Amino acid sequence: MGEKFEVGIDELLVFNVARTIRDRTTVFHGVSSPIPMVAMYYAKLTHAKDMVYFGGVSSAVDPNPPFFPPTTNDWVMIQGRTAMVTVDKIFDLAQRGELDRSFFSGAQIDKYGNQNVSMIGTPDRCKVKFPGGAGGCNLSGDCVNYTIWTTRHRAQKKGDRKFFTLVNKCDFVTNVGHVTPYGRREELDLVGNGPDWVVTELGVFDFDEVTKTMRLRYLYPDTTVDDVLDSTEFEPIIHPNVGVMEMPTREEIEIIRRIDPLGVRKLEYPEQELARRFQI
Amino acid sequence: MEEAASTIRDGDVVAIGGGLCMREPMAMLRELVRQGRRNLHIVGTAHGFDVDFACGGGIVGAVEETHVSFEQDFGLAPNYRRACETGQVRIKENCCNTVIMQLRASEFGIPFVPMRSIKGSDEIKLHPEFKPMVDPFTGKKIVLVPALTPDVAIIHAQKADIHGNLKILPPYVADVLFIRASKRVIVTAEEIVSEEKMIEEGPTIPYYETTAVVNAPFGAHPTSCYPYYAYDREHISEYMKSAKEGADAFKNRYLDKYVYGVKSPEEYLEKVGGNVKRERLASWKESRERWMELFTYG
Repeated sequence: MGEKFEVGIDELLVFNVARTIRDRTTVFHGVSSPIPMVAMYYAKLTHAKDMVYFGGVSSAVDPNPPFFPPTTNDWVMIQGRTAMVTVDKIFDLAQRGELDRSFFSGAQIDKYGNQNVSMIGTPDRCKVKFPGGAGGCNLSGDCVNYTIWTTRHRAQKKGDRKFFTLVNKCDFVTNVGHVTPYGRREELDLVGNGPDWVVTELGVFDFDEVTKTMRLRYLYPDTTVDDVLDSTEFEPIIHPNVGVMEMPTREEIEIIRRIDPLGVRKLEYPEQELARRFQI
Repeated sequence: MEEAASTIRDGDVVAIGGGLCMREPMAMLRELVRQGRRNLHIVGTAHGFDVDFACGGGIVGAVEETHVSFEQDFGLAPNYRRACETGQVRIKENCCNTVIMQLRASEFGIPFVPMRSIKGSDEIKLHPEFKPMVDPFTGKKIVLVPALTPDVAIIHAQKADIHGNLKILPPYVADVLFIRASKRVIVTAEEIVSEEKMIEEGPTIPYYETTAVVNAPFGAHPTSCYPYYAYDREHISEYMKSAKEGADAFKNRYLDKYVYGVKSPEEYLEKVGGNVKRERLASWKESRERWMELFTYG
């Protein structure tokens, strides 16, 4: 005790995403998801030992990957498993309302939690093509709940223009949040209840029960409410008790480092974010 | 290979097996680029190298995949992006479970299936064929999606025998669904084994479900085909450099070298690093450290 221990934003984000996972639930991550990959296994090893862990599109049940590769579809992700299923069985589980949690992100995210993973522009005049939502359009409707994460909340200034990830309106809605361009979830008879947490490199949000919009709950030790407002195109609700999040212990951080020796958890960040250091 | 590829026609709806950077039928796609196939309508789930390569090779007219990228390893798919942004390919982006359910409809021999998701998403704009309606039994909103029957599935398997029995090792991704839903199934296999050996191991897919088999060692390269080889990060890194630079750089520096100028599988292997490379990619099984190294070199 007493000795200071330094951690990075990459480790804190994994820890915060992991905290959205409860024990005794069924959990799946999609493609291009290094942070949820690490967070899910971390949760399985710590506070959620009885979760049913689907290790991505590789479709192993409760794998023990020896490390995390920078792709979600590799034999690394089926090592030490209990069983193999096929990916369609995981989607069946979701359609039946029995997949408790998944994780999605987007190049644009609006205040209701809708995400654009598809394009800027229109299908006929596409200005920027993003990879596409993979299973997100289905699972964001079907999962009981899901966690949104992004490592690019901080708005980018280019000349006198500012580019936001958390936007007023998505150019294209791939994954559905609480209020979609076609109506509210309950009007659409969707199976699941939508996103309940949004974890970014600037803060952690939940959703206001009445307006179904993002509400700031926690900050990092080096971020302020103004930082969050400055980087968010819409005006999020600020929880009256917003404060600095609980920090992980040294032991918890050491688990994250041990299970992710290649550091895939760092792959999603602009470089300057990784320079942020925190003492615990 | 030439003969099998020549049965795939311009404009065919083609399901490409594997996924992301694993067990994709690259030898077949290279042959289709060499033969100058055009306007293929590509369908599938989450893919990467294969679809990007096919777009860069000019054989694609429409892409109905759910995701195309090199994930966080190399990021956005440059040839795919360029093809979408210049209008060279039609964007028919779909969603994984929708594709799965559409393939199942075809597998089951039924014309469509109802789904409870998709509602609320703009994906429906890309698919005027999807029909929102009210479930006559419950009164709830649903979406009908039609059966998806690809003209041909191209699959890379670990093993096949001369009758067309296949041994595919998991994860299958959507391969088994593609095989059952498609009109024709063309398979490249890492190894051709005897009928006795195949029966002993137990086929994943029986012979009557496949149309043609081609022996194609290293046929998924540079994507992985375990247990034979992990993905070739060094090669993909070289690929990305020319693909990012533009269509001409990709043709001159990549396609000319690894596709147009290559006459045989042996010559291809030689060009991508020969037996030294093959052994290196097979070294994943030696230790955790060796395996980890394969994700950092290149």
